[in-house]
Amino acid sequence: MASGSAAPAGGGGKQRNYLNCIRATLTAAMCLENFGSQQVERHNKPEVEVKGNKELLLNPIIIARNKEKVLIEGSINSLRVSVSIKKSDEIEVVLAKRFMRFLTQRAENFVILRRKPIEGYDISFLVTNTHTEKMYKHKLVDFIIQFMEDIDKEISDIRLSVNARARVVAQEYLREYQ
Amino acid sequence: FFCFLVADTIFSSFEAVVSTQSTGTTTLFIILLLTMSTSEIDHLANCITTHAWNGDRSKVAISPNSNEVMIYTKKGNTFELEQILQEHDQVITSIDWAPKTNRIVTASQDRNAFVWNYEKNEWKPTLVILRINRAATYVKWSPLENKFAVASGAKCVSVCYFEEDSNWWISKHIKKHKSTVLKVDWHPNNCLLVTGSSDFKCRVFSAHIKVVDKELPRTVFGDKLVFGEPLLEMNASGWVHGVKWSPSGNLIAFASHDSSLCIANVSNLPPTIQKVNLRGLPIRDLLFLSENSLVGVGEDCNPLLFQSEGGNWAFVSEIDKKSEQAAASGDSAAGNARKLFASKVTLGAESVTDTKLETQHQNCITSIRALTAGAVVSDFSTVGLDGNLIVWHTKALEAKFKELKIK
Repeated sequence: MASGSAAPAGGGGKQRNYLNCIRATLTAAMCLENFGSQQVERHNKPEVEVKGNKELLLNPIIIARNKEKVLIEGSINSLRVSVSIKKSDEIEVVLAKRFMRFLTQRAENFVILRRKPIEGYDISFLVTNTHTEKMYKHKLVDFIIQFMEDIDKEISDIRLSVNARARVVAQEYLREYQ
Repeated sequence: FFCFLVADTIFSSFEAVVSTQSTGTTTLFIILLLTMSTSEIDHLANCITTHAWNGDRSKVAISPNSNEVMIYTKKGNTFELEQILQEHDQVITSIDWAPKTNRIVTASQDRNAFVWNYEKNEWKPTLVILRINRAATYVKWSPLENKFAVASGAKCVSVCYFEEDSNWWISKHIKKHKSTVLKVDWHPNNCLLVTGSSDFKCRVFSAHIKVVDKELPRTVFGDKLVFGEPLLEMNASGWVHGVKWSPSGNLIAFASHDSSLCIANVSNLPPTIQKVNLRGLPIRDLLFLSENSLVGVGEDCNPLLFQSEGGNWAFVSEIDKKSEQAAASGDSAAGNARKLFASKVTLGAESVTDTKLETQHQNCITSIRALTAGAVVSDFSTVGLDGNLIVWHTKALEAKFKELKIK
């Protein structure tokens, strides 16, 4: 278990440290190789999903910063990253759930996205050796980090616009009674 | 006095000019090396898992991350596809080419291995009875080329030899592993085998087969060597990705997934093990350039040079470096501005992030092979998951970068 360290600098600094810690862990965990299954002959499965042999799995790491956390589970040929988004109020809980469902329904387009998140988390990625063979590793890590930054921004934007719309609607409705 | 004559018939041409003084006193010889490159790069496929050269280094067999073996011939400066060998059903994990007997052995995740013989301008496969029920991960010919060892996911190593009567290769199993065997390497005496496994251990076994090996060599492990008997077991803190004997057979180097490289001196038992912690990502394959120099290749996409000073091994330098001159003249302000606008238009990106890596390999290096034989290896080749085959010349590298001296 590792927790993101908070620098004395402002909020931006803390976020940067948190993301840098995740980036370093992902770069290390993304060293994957093609590995034929030990359980079933002629099969090739992501070991982190099958969890058949303990020696092929790396220790899972949780990197947490207040309410938001990331679970990184590695193995010899696959990596699973699960993200739990910071949700400050109930509106954000609903928004996060809907937004994630929207994305996971289109998981094929994202290639590395997992259709169902792991228990306790909002969204999960599954990166296998086939992905690291076709794509640059540092760009995959960039994508995941960028995704986490964008999600936070998008959800707060949506919440602001929801609140703004609610205010406008309430104003129009109550105008009738003025 | 000393003289240095350089000749390179295979790769790019250059001239050596040697001038002498006619007097008998010691004088300096001036050598002009024109266009001597430190490395040559060829893009042979989208992704290469493994490669092997033939005896005179005119042909190379690669596996392009599929169930085929592609054999390329070197014609001038480029490679030409000569033949494709199709016999396996699943991805080929390892190829080895025996230099003297000119035989290729291939192993695949479909739990088969084939030995290919060159007859009448074609490669013909011969059956190998491996008797494993999981994927084969690595294969290596023994130094005398009368046996080969296949590491497999069935937690065993199959040592195979040819049976004349039935015209096929039969195997004997070395068990005693608790998990998949990832790599094997033969000792120069043709009888000892070192294995690296995903159960975090590096082991030495006897692979002496009475029918094939006439005499039992004297080793530090004793005189009585029973086949498959574990002679030594060394612990690592991660999956052991690369194992190699040094040219004399006195050292074993093994690299594991915790980004470390251990070198064990087995000339005396118990062995003294030195651990070198790497600065970057794990190493996947190793090559001894000489008894004191070792190159490791792996996820850093950069070959790393290690050397020993009187028995103490340490990391010396990366081999794929840009000279300072090239780095300085790299980016100009106008070029950067152009890149920024181009990325904004095409990708919608706000800042310029270089997608390409600075090293010549763009993805993990999977395999390294020596090109020249002898006490000191002067050329070696690497292939990676980016599909590049790069040949490195250590003499040119030594001339360019002072710290890369191979001992």
